[in-house]
This record gives sequence, structure tokens and C-alpha cells, in this order.
Amino acid sequence: MRIGVFFCQLDETKKFSIESVAKYSANLPDVVTVQILGVNPRLVSDVLSGRIKQDNLDRIVIAGDTPGYFKPVFTKAMVLAGHNPKEVYLASFNEHGATGDMALERAKAIVACATYAVPFSLAAIPAQNPVNHTTLIIGGGIAGIQAALEVADADKEVYLIEKTGTIGGHMAMFDKTFPTLDCSACILTPKMVSVGQHDMIRLMTYSEVIGVSGNPGAYQVKILQHARRVDIKSCVACSICSDVCPVWVDSEFDANISKRKAIYIPFPQAVPNAFLVDEKNCTYIQSEGKKCGVCVKKCPKECIDLNASDEVIEIEVGNIILATGYDVLDVSKIPQYGYGVYPNVVTALEFERLTNASGTTGGKIVTKTKQINKRTKEEEWIFSVDGTPPKSVAIIHCVGSRNKKYNAYCSRVCCMYSLKFAHLVKEKIPDVTCYEFYIDMRAFGKGYEEFSERIKQEGTFVVRGRSASVAMNDGQMVVKGEDIIQDRVVEFDVDLVILAVGLIPAPGSEELSNILGITRDTDGWFSELDYNGNPTDTEKGGIYVAGMCQSPKDIPDTVAQGSAVAAGVLRSITSGKGIGHLSSVSLSEIELRAKSIITL
Amino acid sequence: MAIRVNPKLIEDLLRYGAEDVHMCYHCGDCSAVCVHSDEMFRFPRKSTRQLQMGLERKIETSLEPWLCYYCGQCSEQCPREAAPGETMMSLRRWLIARYDLTGIAGLFFRSRTAEILAVIMVALITGAFLLYHGFTTGNILVYDGPDAFLESSFIHKFDLIIGSILALFLIGNAFRMWYLIMIKGNPYTTPWWLYIKQIYLLPLHFFSQKRYAKCDNPKDSAIHIPWFAHLGLMLGYVTMLVLVMVFLPALQQGPGINWSIHVFAYLASIGLIVGTVYFIYSRFKKQHIQYQKSHSTDWVFIILLVIIVLTGIVQHILHRSGLFEAANIIYILHLMSVVPWLLRMPFSKWAHLLYRPLAMYFAGIWAEANELQQHPQNIMPIPQI
Repeated sequence: MRIGVFFCQLDETKKFSIESVAKYSANLPDVVTVQILGVNPRLVSDVLSGRIKQDNLDRIVIAGDTPGYFKPVFTKAMVLAGHNPKEVYLASFNEHGATGDMALERAKAIVACATYAVPFSLAAIPAQNPVNHTTLIIGGGIAGIQAALEVADADKEVYLIEKTGTIGGHMAMFDKTFPTLDCSACILTPKMVSVGQHDMIRLMTYSEVIGVSGNPGAYQVKILQHARRVDIKSCVACSICSDVCPVWVDSEFDANISKRKAIYIPFPQAVPNAFLVDEKNCTYIQSEGKKCGVCVKKCPKECIDLNASDEVIEIEVGNIILATGYDVLDVSKIPQYGYGVYPNVVTALEFERLTNASGTTGGKIVTKTKQINKRTKEEEWIFSVDGTPPKSVAIIHCVGSRNKKYNAYCSRVCCMYSLKFAHLVKEKIPDVTCYEFYIDMRAFGKGYEEFSERIKQEGTFVVRGRSASVAMNDGQMVVKGEDIIQDRVVEFDVDLVILAVGLIPAPGSEELSNILGITRDTDGWFSELDYNGNPTDTEKGGIYVAGMCQSPKDIPDTVAQGSAVAAGVLRSITSGKGIGHLSSVSLSEIELRAKSIITL
Repeated sequence: MAIRVNPKLIEDLLRYGAEDVHMCYHCGDCSAVCVHSDEMFRFPRKSTRQLQMGLERKIETSLEPWLCYYCGQCSEQCPREAAPGETMMSLRRWLIARYDLTGIAGLFFRSRTAEILAVIMVALITGAFLLYHGFTTGNILVYDGPDAFLESSFIHKFDLIIGSILALFLIGNAFRMWYLIMIKGNPYTTPWWLYIKQIYLLPLHFFSQKRYAKCDNPKDSAIHIPWFAHLGLMLGYVTMLVLVMVFLPALQQGPGINWSIHVFAYLASIGLIVGTVYFIYSRFKKQHIQYQKSHSTDWVFIILLVIIVLTGIVQHILHRSGLFEAANIIYILHLMSVVPWLLRMPFSKWAHLLYRPLAMYFAGIWAEANELQQHPQNIMPIPQI
């Protein structure tokens, strides 16, 4: 057997040096010709067949990121040379994952297998580690909740770690879901309660992962549990502590449009249903015990301990599910929309809280009113129940999304929630004028297109052309844009502007990816193993991604992924085969196995 | 009527400087942010769309490129980094080539080598001709008077000949522009008296360039610096052109300074210096988006202008200080750069001096015609609140 190895690239590869792979392949048995054809070579089958004849090659191996692209020309060359055209094998670096730290070793193994004509997947079988039956889920949003319930319902123990004081995540903040306009909380809260009451779920709120070591199937995880300073078991959420607390701060759960106390419960349906202390704003903690402490005295259950300290807990788990979710882009970075300058320009999340029946105005949609802050004596704009409803509302799509300066990608949910907003506004304020400014309407899901048509029928003015700017003319906000379909430049007077802000990975994603040793894509989302085939697995065995942290997606897709990762986890636990990972297989092992396969 | 499409139009425009036209996804940010985009003329998005579709005839007969002064706000805000401002700039170059029937303009825009070769050739021919003339009829040690190396009456005639050639081409191009825009592209029936009614727009826009003043980017500075520099350059240039074409003998007379003429020449020189220095500085510094990409013709334009201004001033100083031989040599150099510059005018960026006010004039006629006819608005009414 005389083998020729040809390296053809479509793009410059930076992951490893092609030369070193070429050098290695020259020493493989029976390899007589090794040639690097470079990036995007212009191959002519006549010339190649001359080469094949000259070197008398019986087998061709095409190596590269996407070698299949070059297969036809080599096959033709083999035919022209009068050799067996079936003896053309591909060594695809992309397909077999020659990336990361192991890229070079993996690339060598891929080429070696191709020269033996052994499928890489047959030769590269990693040793299987036994699996610890406990699972760790990082992130208590809807994805984490769904995954936790699926795994726990199969009677496997789950640790659910949540950074904030309650599970629920962003979905708990929403008013309605699209396109069905179901109440978001009605879907979520039963699931939250199930998580809180489940025997197999160890819920750890106000905690974060600070270190992970070990191998797939047996990870040792260090968890930092922040001091909640309120005993979860004995707190009955009577709210006497927060009534007496003198400190007011912005409520994160209400997207900063309302205030909460320094001892607080994020929202009444929180799980666990217990208060917690915000140490950064608590007078007692900040003064090191010299001032205040009034909540401790008033608590009827004596469950507040302001002197409690953070704890580090170590657990061992077999699988880790990442469901860390997302954050919204800081819109004040985009000056033309006047967010932070004009009071009545709000982000989507703020509007979501405004229109929510549990929100600060009880679900009444109003414009902000000016009032004097009693303590600081400064003017401030707040949403108040007595505020006037807007006569006209503009909703601007793609704010910071599909924009090379901010997020180049589409955030995927904005079109639909913006349409939902138009419906909610029209529903609650009958004589309102509502404008939607969009670039492309991405109504891609089941029932979404119909929903979009319905909103248009309801009398919302849908303007194709994203507005360029929000300005203030004599106290009246003016939104200017180009209406492309009607071919005109439009300027609308509006009272409220809602910005459909793009989504970014949750803060701390980078840190977490370093701790876990998994990769993120260029936009910062966690990378899946294969976008089509393994959308919830990561490069590292036993670590999975679910929900928004992998890429922006809507609630149905997030829930589906939450269930999908549970299937992966349960498969690894119940199959009894353990979890292996290619990173544990060395090049020589793969070579040996490939050789043994040929001799069979 | 069938619409002719040129699918290679974007590729053609590449050589005129438009690189990223295909990037546009039509969000309309650029048209909305533009101060000049209004009910009647919406750009740059619409022009970009026409380009992407290859609607050559449509663009050829459109006024939009001339209404843009390239403040750069559209390119700054473009989410696709498609550089709409640069697209409009390239369209202006392309239109200049379109208005020119000889095809020379297109050649110059597309090929830097051809342009530079042509400029050098014309300069050399001019130099040789003037040297020959000077040595046969005059004395290199004399600057003015009948024995002068290049006596002013001869240069005056020479200038007038060059000027007539220039005017001939320009009038031809302007006529073609009128034909394309007012006959082929005009969607309205235009009564003849509108041409008279709106004629005031021509001098108004020519001398004030007030649309450019509107264009300033409020973020950069409170004063309209680019407008001011451009106006100075233009007024200086036009004054100088008039002086040279009409008053050359008086201008050249020495050794005293004829203040009634020279005061204008000095003012014009200041305008020219300020303008050229500002634009060269901006094109080197590349601070503002509109100066980040320079087409080769932009450099030829500005470099030739600098040479003309400098040699003109030096020649004047040498003459008044009695160094006649040196003055004559510099004068030859001056004319060697002036002649190619003048002959290049109708085929280059320079021609916008004529096209811009014409475009404003035509736009004014369109707007009036539109109002006269009260075009039926078959579009969705804007809801009133």
C-alpha cells in the first residue's frame, strides 16, 4: 500500500500547526507522499492524477478542516490515474473536534486513522469513568428548574445552585408569554414550588460555584454560600423586618423601577419563601454592628442573624448542568435612543415589570411622574399608580442587536416580546396609538407568524425601518425613522418609548467557563459540542448547557433544552457505562486501536 | 416599461470607492439620521437599495447623491458598517463620469495611472510650449512689459482658450445632467416658468452652500468648520478664476501692487490656503469619518491645488522682489500645474462646483412641480394623535 496525504484548507487554521501534523504523518506506515496544498488551493484533477501516477499512490488521504470539499477532484484524479477511486479518505479536523488544548494531538490521530482507513469514531473510544449519581445544576431560572425537576423526578439527587435569593430567574419577572399570552407566573410558580418541596433537590440560593476539579463522572465542586442572615427554615415571610428596615434601594427583581428594603424578599412567591439581607446596603453590617439592627429586635421568630458569615461547601457530583441564563445589554451605551436622558424611555425588562400585575403600579401602564425625594431632596422620575397613561407608545426593535458595534447576533426573542407589548398596551389603554419599528420581523416559531398578524390586525402601526433616534421637542418625545414600505420619513410624537434591548451572556460567564474549563464562542455564549447533533453537550464530558446561556432562545426552547440535558444526565447515570471523554485518550492509544481494527 | 438591471453595478462602483454596499440590510437608520433626507428625497438607504438591485437608469437620473454633503453621521450610526456616506460619495463620482460624454472622467476615476499620466503629459506639453514661446519672443530676465518672457497679453489669450475648452465641456455635461434629471428622471410635468421662478436657487446655493452648513455633526464642534473651510476654498477659488480669466493683465502688472485688484487676490489666496490646509490635514488625520477613505482622484485634486497655490504665491513674491528670472521659472511651473488642473475640471470631482447648485435648482423645481400637482397620496395616513 502506498499512501499520499494532502492537506487542503479553506481557511487559515490557527488552532495548531499544519506543518507538525504533516511531519508526523510522513512517518506513518506506508505513507510515501505528504503535501501541504495551502489555503483554498486550485486543484486540477489532471495534474493530481499525474502526481498519483508518478508516486504510484493506492490511497489518498485529504486532511483539513472541511476536506469533503476537495473530495470530488481527488476522486476524479484517482479515476484518471486508473486507481481505485474508493480509496480516497477524509481526515476532517472540524468534524472530529481538533480544537482546544488537545488540538494538535487530535489532528494527528485523525490523520492516522484516515491513513489506516479506520473511522476515527471506531478507534477513539475513551475509557469510561464511573458516574456519581448526584447532579449539579448552576442557575435557577426556568432551564435549571426544568432540568432539576426532570432529574429529581427520576429519583436522582440534584444540587440546584442559584446566585440570587430566589429561583425563578427572568421568567418570574415576565407578565405574559408569547404567543399564547399565558400568565408567565402561572406556568413558573408551580414548578418553583415543586423544586422547593422536592425530596431529591438540594436547593442552594445566594450561592455560587467557585471551584471545580476532578474528571467527568466525579467532579469535586466548591460552592460559596453567601450568608443569607435569615434562617430559611424558621422564617415565615411575615415582612415585619422589612417594614422596620430604614434603608431603601432599587429592586433588582423589579428591574430597578421600584424600591425595596435592605432586608427583603425578592417577590412574594419566592422560593425559598424567606427574607434575605443585602449586606452591601445594610446599615448594621456596613457599620460593623454599631448602628441599627432593628430588624433583629422586631423579628417574632428570632430567625435573623446579622453576624452570620459566608460558608464554603464542597460537594461531589457526577454531572454538571449549566443554566446561567442571560443579562440585557446596557442601553445607555447607545446614545441615540436617549435612555437615561429622557425619563420615559424604558427597556423591555422595565416595561415587563411595569405591566405585570404584581409590579409597582399593579399592572397599570403609565408614564413616569416627577416627584421630590423626601430624603435626598432631589427630583426623581418614578412610576406611580397615579401616573397618566401614555397616549402613544413606540416600541423599537433590534436595540443593540444585529449591530456590529454592540451585538452582531440576533437576540431572537425581541420581535415576539415587542409584539406582545403592543398587544398589552392596546389591551390596557384602549385609545392608545402604538408603533412598532422593526428591521425584519422574526416570527419563526409555532403560532408566532399568526400572532404577528394578529397584532397588526389589532391596529398597531408596524413600521418597517428601525428608528434612528429619540429626541425631545418642547417636552414631547419624538421618534424619527424611515418607513421603508411606505417610502417616507416618519416622525411620531410619543409618550413612552420601549427599547427591545439585545441580550448578552450572564455576568460571570467568563469566570465560570474558566472554572469549568469549557469554551465560549466569540459572542460569549457557552459553546455546545455540535450545534446540530449535540446541542446541549459541551466539549467536556459530564458538563451540559441548557437555555439562554448557550445562545438566546425563547421559553419553549429553553424548557425543551432543560429536559434534553436531563436526558443526557440520566443516560450517563442509568446506562451503567459511565462517562468518558476524548481528552482522556492519548494519541498512541488511538493509533494502537486503529491498528488492531485493521488486523481484525 | 421594462426596467433594465445591471447586476454588476456594485462591482463597477468598487472602483469609484464604494466597498460595502452589499452589507446593507435596510434598517433605515441612515435615512432617518440624515438632516437632508426629507419627504421628497430619502437617502442614503434608497440609493443603496437601487445600487444593490442594479437599477442603473434609476440612479443615473436621481438627484439624491448631489443632495448629500457627507457629514458622516449615517456611516457612524450604521449597524452593518456599510458606510452609506461613502456609497453616496462614490455615486457622485460615478455620476460625474455619467454626465461626461467623452468617457475621460470614468477613465480617471477607474484608473489612477491613467489620470496621473494624463496630468503629467499635459503639464509637460504646456511647459515645453511655454518655454518655446518664451525663448522665441521674450527674455527670461524680464518679467513684465512687451519684452517679457511670458507677456501677459499672450497668457491672457492662452487662458481664454483653455477657459473656452473647459466651458465647452462643462456646458455639455451640464446639459446632459439636465437631460437625465429633468427629462428622463422627472416624474412630474414641469411648466417652463418654474425654471425662472426657481432660478434664484442657483446663485443662492452656489455662494452660500447653506445645505453644507446644516450638515455639521453637533458632536464634533459648535462651529461649522468643514463648511467654513469649504466655503473659503470655493470662494477663493472662484475669485481667483475670475481674476485670472478677466483681469490677468492688471494682475500681472508690476512692479507696484495694484491694490484694487490685488486685495481680492490676497483674500482669495487666504481662502485657498485655509481650505487646502484644512482638507489635507483632515485627510491625513482621518479623525472624521468622511475623511477616512480617500480616492486617488481626491489626492490628485488636492495636491495639484496646493502646487498651484504655492507656485502662484512664490511667483508673486519673486516678481515683486525683483528676482525676475526665478519668477519666470516658477511662473512656468505654475502654469504647468494650472493647465492640467483646468483641463481636468469637467472630468473630476471639481465639477461638483457646477453640479451641486444645479442639482439644488432642479430639486427646487421638482418640489414646486410636486406641490402644483398635489400627487395623490396613496399611502397609509400617519395617525393623528
